Amino acid sequence: MAAAAPSPAPVPSSSPKVASPKAGDRKVVPVTVAEEVVLEEKHVLAVDDSSVDRAIIAKILRSSKYRVTTVESATRALELLGLGLLPDVNMIITDYWMPGMTGYELLKRVKESSKLKEIPVVIMSSENVPNRISRCLEEGAEDFLLKPVRPSDVSRLCNRIR
Amino acid sequence: MQDANLRYPEIGISEVSLTFGGKIGYLDEQFCQVEDLQDEASPNFAEEVVTLFFKDSARLMSNIELALEKYPKDFNRWDAYMQQLKGSCSSIGASRMKCEFMSFRDYCGQGNVEGCMRSFQKVKREHTVLRQKLETYFQLLRQAGPAGAATRPVM
Repeated sequence: MAAAAPSPAPVPSSSPKVASPKAGDRKVVPVTVAEEVVLEEKHVLAVDDSSVDRAIIAKILRSSKYRVTTVESATRALELLGLGLLPDVNMIITDYWMPGMTGYELLKRVKESSKLKEIPVVIMSSENVPNRISRCLEEGAEDFLLKPVRPSDVSRLCNRIR
Repeated sequence: MQDANLRYPEIGISEVSLTFGGKIGYLDEQFCQVEDLQDEASPNFAEEVVTLFFKDSARLMSNIELALEKYPKDFNRWDAYMQQLKGSCSSIGASRMKCEFMSFRDYCGQGNVEGCMRSFQKVKREHTVLRQKLETYFQLLRQAGPAGAATRPVM
């Protein structure tokens, strides 16, 4: 009986250990992939006369990755917006009741301004007054939040930010 | 992140009281919400907010005190000032102080000067107690932090 001799495995004549790149193999990474990875930072202007509430709303917004500018009065807000110092505001969130100009008046001014009227305005108030809420919405407010404002309230808004 | 057990240590932030015929703690759920906002970027956020609160409230209360004296029976003005203070109290969850604002508002509505004065004094007292409680609370948290690290065994 003839012992079967193991036949040597055929050595392929061309099986490169190291793949040398051929012209067609080179991958071109499109530039747009990198752009898509960058998160577009939205800029929110928060207006409140209370330093406590400014700190809280700013923190909530920043935790949701928004860029935040806080001001303590509606007058100041209009000043900065009017001077073009805040050219890229995507949303204004303002307290309703403030000494001097109220948030409601700020809302009206913004909606009357050809330059600013596209900016969504959200009103915050510690008082649940139905008349107040409907007046604000009629005047063009994007939403009305009851204070104290929670992170869940803000995530609700994120779709509305321009 | 602080250990949940430290949240309300024995100093009694959430201790019950039989005031107002019911049980009301010094701080409510809103205070937890503020603490929950703490993160690596702002590890002391709650304490910072509380500091802002006491700075603000001290100012507002002296405005009210002045108004009670300078503008007798000006209930609208008194109520407006108290509303501002109430707003801040709401934001940090100062539940006992919040309760007293409702009484004050009722007294204003009734035109009851005596009632307003008494109510405001109560607000002042609650404010002082709350300040003491929170100072102790944050002190304990600070002590627990480094103390916890120190007792950890070295491997």
